[in-house]
Amino acid sequence: MSVQVITGNHAAGYALSTAGEANRNARGTACGIYPITPQTEIVEYVAKFPFSKGRVVPVESEHSAMAVSMGASMSGARAFTASSANGLAYMAENIMVTGYYRLPIVMVGVNRTLGPPWNIWADQGDTLMLRDFAWLQFYCENNQEILDTTLLAFRLAEDRRILLPVMTCMDAFIVSHTQMETSLPEQAEVDRYLPDLDLPHRMHQREARTMGGLAWPHEGLSMRLEIDEAMKRVPAVYQECRESFKEVFGRDPGDMTQTFATDDADVVLVVSGTMATTAREVVRKRRAAGEKIGLVKLKMFRPYPEAALREACQSATKLAVLDRNYAAGAGGVFWQDTRAAFQGHRDDLLIQNYLTGLCGGDVTPAVIDDILADIAVREEAGDPVWMGIDTGEETLQ
Amino acid sequence: MDVGAGERSPAGDAMIEIRIHGRGGQGGVTLAKLIATSRFLQGLSVQAFGLYAAERSGAPIQAFCRYSEDPITNRNLIYEPDHVIVLDPTLVGKVIMAGLKAGGWILINSPQQPDELAEQFPRNRLATVDATTIARDNNLGTRSVPIVNTALAGAVARMLGFPLREVSAALEHLGFKGANLAAAARAYDEVRLLESPRDIGAAAEQATQSSMGRGPSLLEGAGAAMPAIKTGQWASEQPHRQQMIPPCNHICPAGNDVQGFLNALAHKETDKALEVLLRSTPFPSICGRACPAPCMESCNRIEIDGAVNVRQMERYAGDHGQVTIEPLAERDERVAIVGSGPAGLTAAYHLARFGYQVTVFESGPEIGGLLRSGIPEFRLPEKVVAHEIDRILSLGVAVETDHQIDRQTLLNLAREHDAVLVATGLQEQRDLRLGLDGTEAVVQGIDFLDHVHRESVRVDGEDVVVIGGGNTAMDAARSALRLGAESVRVVYRRTRNEMPAIAEEIDETIEEGVAIDYLTQPVALHDDPSDGIRRHYRLACRRMELGEPDESGRRSPVEIPDSDFELACHRVILALGQSPDVSVFPEGTEVREDNQLLGLLETPVFAVGDLATGDGTVAGAIGSGRRSATHIHNVLSGDHVNITEHAEALRDVDIWRDEVIRADAMKLHLFERQPVAEGESLAVAERRSTFDEVHMGLEDTAEASRCLSCGVCNECDYCATYCPEGVLKRVGHRLEFDYSYCKGCGVCVAECPRNVIFMSHL
Amino acid sequence: MNATAATNLHPDECLLRPGNTNCGGCGMSIGLTMLGRALAEAGDTCTLVIPACCGIVTAGAFPTTSYAVPTIATTFASSAAVASGVASIRDINNESGQVICWAGDGGTYDIGLGTLSAAAERNENIIYICYDNEIYGNTGGQRSSATPAGARTTTTPWGKSEGKKDIMSIMAAHRIPYAATMSVAHPEDFARKMSIALSMQGMRFLLLHSPCPTGWKSEPQDSVELVRLAVASGLFPVYEVYDGATYRINIEPDGTDPAEYFRRQRRFKDDEIDLDVTRRDCADRMQLLKALAALYPRTA
Repeated sequence: MSVQVITGNHAAGYALSTAGEANRNARGTACGIYPITPQTEIVEYVAKFPFSKGRVVPVESEHSAMAVSMGASMSGARAFTASSANGLAYMAENIMVTGYYRLPIVMVGVNRTLGPPWNIWADQGDTLMLRDFAWLQFYCENNQEILDTTLLAFRLAEDRRILLPVMTCMDAFIVSHTQMETSLPEQAEVDRYLPDLDLPHRMHQREARTMGGLAWPHEGLSMRLEIDEAMKRVPAVYQECRESFKEVFGRDPGDMTQTFATDDADVVLVVSGTMATTAREVVRKRRAAGEKIGLVKLKMFRPYPEAALREACQSATKLAVLDRNYAAGAGGVFWQDTRAAFQGHRDDLLIQNYLTGLCGGDVTPAVIDDILADIAVREEAGDPVWMGIDTGEETLQ
Repeated sequence: MDVGAGERSPAGDAMIEIRIHGRGGQGGVTLAKLIATSRFLQGLSVQAFGLYAAERSGAPIQAFCRYSEDPITNRNLIYEPDHVIVLDPTLVGKVIMAGLKAGGWILINSPQQPDELAEQFPRNRLATVDATTIARDNNLGTRSVPIVNTALAGAVARMLGFPLREVSAALEHLGFKGANLAAAARAYDEVRLLESPRDIGAAAEQATQSSMGRGPSLLEGAGAAMPAIKTGQWASEQPHRQQMIPPCNHICPAGNDVQGFLNALAHKETDKALEVLLRSTPFPSICGRACPAPCMESCNRIEIDGAVNVRQMERYAGDHGQVTIEPLAERDERVAIVGSGPAGLTAAYHLARFGYQVTVFESGPEIGGLLRSGIPEFRLPEKVVAHEIDRILSLGVAVETDHQIDRQTLLNLAREHDAVLVATGLQEQRDLRLGLDGTEAVVQGIDFLDHVHRESVRVDGEDVVVIGGGNTAMDAARSALRLGAESVRVVYRRTRNEMPAIAEEIDETIEEGVAIDYLTQPVALHDDPSDGIRRHYRLACRRMELGEPDESGRRSPVEIPDSDFELACHRVILALGQSPDVSVFPEGTEVREDNQLLGLLETPVFAVGDLATGDGTVAGAIGSGRRSATHIHNVLSGDHVNITEHAEALRDVDIWRDEVIRADAMKLHLFERQPVAEGESLAVAERRSTFDEVHMGLEDTAEASRCLSCGVCNECDYCATYCPEGVLKRVGHRLEFDYSYCKGCGVCVAECPRNVIFMSHL
Repeated sequence: MNATAATNLHPDECLLRPGNTNCGGCGMSIGLTMLGRALAEAGDTCTLVIPACCGIVTAGAFPTTSYAVPTIATTFASSAAVASGVASIRDINNESGQVICWAGDGGTYDIGLGTLSAAAERNENIIYICYDNEIYGNTGGQRSSATPAGARTTTTPWGKSEGKKDIMSIMAAHRIPYAATMSVAHPEDFARKMSIALSMQGMRFLLLHSPCPTGWKSEPQDSVELVRLAVASGLFPVYEVYDGATYRINIEPDGTDPAEYFRRQRRFKDDEIDLDVTRRDCADRMQLLKALAALYPRTA
């Protein structure tokens, strides 16, 4: 274990590569890679990693990058890739197939604004548009978390009770290109953490089996039900993976939901990604001043950790849900699922949505203060609030 | 509530629901749309839809139609239809009945009458119409997948009591024209209705319910089973194997299995080829040299690039094959054969193989008849004849040479034997009264050839004229050249087309320098003064032209007036053909093939070969000898061995068609062109000085692979290679069609070059 | 010719198993049975990688399958990329067996062309077979860039104006080890090319002219004869290109007039086919190929 000052991309690339290398005594590893800002450094790192038993295939598109990884995964290898924004949109079809094929591929998504307008900065809208494709999703706030969570993602994805792909996400530039001290595990530790992959439904030569042929409604229904059952098992399996992570690496990769000062909080901020760090500091300061505010960071978005969230917010009367994304016509994505989580459980709870940091905007402590100020005086929830822009009168009538 | 002009739901409901069962490509969904449109045009609310999946041409499909006076709110499949329509009679079964309401109509596309199907459907009314024929007659769809929907729409109208014009209106509304309208109208007229159910209370088929158990897991890694779909049920036609008679086999006078031995040679199985030949002929090496080979004239390959060189291939099999033959049984009966030409020896061969004690009586010093003396060495070497005769004798056939048989001795033979065969051939030589007959100026061709055989004649420096157009004429002319003649002319009264000689021999004769005067009739021979060395003659001739065909089908020569001319010569050879000498038989005996001549001490006596048939060819004599031998065997043993004209088919076939396959039934374009292998001959210059065999024979069996194997499977395996389903296999010599999967596409039929596979309607 | 040895496999073991729901007379089915025989002959095995096309519907309903070999369904554009992944893992594990993409013309000429081109450029160790029936058959018969000029499809209801894309030249331009065209009407040529392809490494591209009676509106029994006519008339040249550099024409057209080919398919209408142009195009194409084969002959 050594601590180095590296970027989030470097951390992610390190996690993907050492995880792939750890499968060298089984069927090895392969991945398709394709560049897109701001994730390019990840695949560059992977491309130069000296795999003992692996192949990195530099393909012509994101769509094919995932396709190569799918082919490798179906052959029983450990497979992964990384992408961002429009690259993810272009890859989307194969991302979906990977989920429904139950392939334990891990992909790092560096959250970048979907263009147009042309914009390379942070926005979670890209990975969130893929939320319904039977992938697990984790949103990380710093280099260490993206590294740790990406390693954990392989263990979780490959668990026989789960067998679903995992996306680990980080904000563009704020994590991806920011140099921070990061603890890098030894390969031997990664080897210990990630057992050889033995994919139960991998293709075997001479075995007559077709992956992805036609299925009648009832067979299709059964497959979807199995995915739902696997999703339901994720929280428990996650805790197992987390415990053994601690054991191997001597470090906590963090819970699926991470609470701060929620025990007696009236107002709870629901956040994700790097804004969690900022918001946590604001809460710490204002707590010190005696305000009953707390914070929940949703590290895991799929499956949505409804129970953990409800438990964390037991004392709250108001939730401020901060979304660095916008689902046109419906508001923030985290907000929608948060409302659904409390519906029928806490109908008294005021849940207000704040759209902030979209299109690479900076979520500063002042923004958090503004949000806390808004919710403090709010008597009922309203439409999502666009932070950092004076909406004034509606110009289009 | 009244639903449309005609029908109410049998259950009295306001809405009518129709379920259609068909196959991909038949237009089931369009039929639903047609019915719906016809109701829509009458102001009703309608639905028409299909059950979409992976529809493939021929796969079972379902389509549905609803109509009602009220708005339709049902968005489900139809589980309990009022009526069902079945587009393909092979679909008739439990599935079509599932949930069908009592009293509802079942309309089936079938040529059968409703009565014939009624027992299966006691609860329902039944209608049938032959929509397939109607569709085919109107050129709707393809031959294998006719589109029957528009015809059935017409039938539906009649069945449900709508006027035809309402269906026609729907057809026009949907853009259907001419043939489709005609099909609907014809079906409207032709549909047969059985109005009343027989037993409305009979048990109903339950609507199918899907199992609610959990489906198989995607995560299970085991190999998967084949689909359970028996696609053979899609087929409207099925392929079968048949066998027809190749023209060569049909025409071979000897009754050889020509295709059979060529097929063996094509597979480089020379011994097997000889074995096939020896079933019918003891003389393959002889026929392989001297047969006129009518098989080659009838060969379908002529239409591509020339007949297969069957003659040379038979020679190859005879010369190179190694087969040991033995009698197939042992019998005590004794058979006498008079005459040792090809007919007598063939009969001896087959009788010996049957196991009889056979003795051949020959008037001359050696057996073989004309085989030895009538065909010169350069065409049929002595050693070849000897070899094949030895093979016959090896079966235990006894020989009495220099044993002339007359009426009296024939009776003696009859007394001493259980059967007698007379095969004395053609011994009377036809003459031409030219004057100077009986002088040394005029010699019979057969006699001349006999002298040649005994090396007792030379014609050095002579101008020789040979009269005739058969093989004897050619042989005599060519022999004369080799014996020193100054010149040789053949005079023939018709044209080359009518010459009975083997075409190749005519060619070789001309090649060697013999002049042929066609359309020339000799009329008289005149003596000229001797020059002191030899006598000179003048043959007066007359020019002819061809008139009307005679009995033989050949055009008769007619004299051209004032066309006489003369040929100077030293010798005239007459080769005008021979006729049988029947003086050995009692007066008035009618001699024809296989005839059992009665009255000779109750011993069966038969006439065989040229004596009985007048055919004049070795092959014909072989066929006659074989048939006679079988006949005698049947008479003596009481067996019923089939006496066949042609070679027996020995293949394992499903269906035998007793019909000769002609070129038009063959897929000749599937064969690649490949030139005929002619083989090498002695150089013309060399031939005049030697009696060595002119033709050297072929060096390998490649020519046999040119055989098209007309109408007989030669295991080319194209059918199995092209079968899209892989369900047509050759197992040994059999073709196996897996009808449980065969979709009846017909590719195997289309791709069989030799018409061995045909389709039958189901 | 001897198909017996391989066809006497148990139905379960045939690459394309009986019970598949392909149309009667399907050229793709013929190609698959020939492929199965070629593999059996070589004692080889394969994993099939099939994009969206009739070829994957062929497999039938889960959990049964009409393929006796491991088969992966991919998204429409992805077969060559998925195959790259499969082949990579095979190779790094030192395993034998072929990875064969089996794709229609839509997945090859159109939506999958970028993927295919990239796999070819990387010289992936796979065999890519395009069964070219010149139509989107699986969706009911729409035009593809492989559809020839004049052909009616549901999206070219009055006949296609443009000619067929020359995919072979595109693939040869990648300088892949082997690119060849084949026809189901020529099984010996098919077998020979498969045995060449099976013995090579790297990207091997095989274009198989494959009749579709449903899409071509032809009699199912005419399937083989139709593509035979296409070869005989020069409409579908049968040739091979090694390393994008050397050429060999395998079956010379024999002067058959293409008119008969068009006449026997109802996708063509007389007034929508310019036979003179077609004849000239065929002749030009053959002339070019002959020139290439003469200048850059494949001699081995």
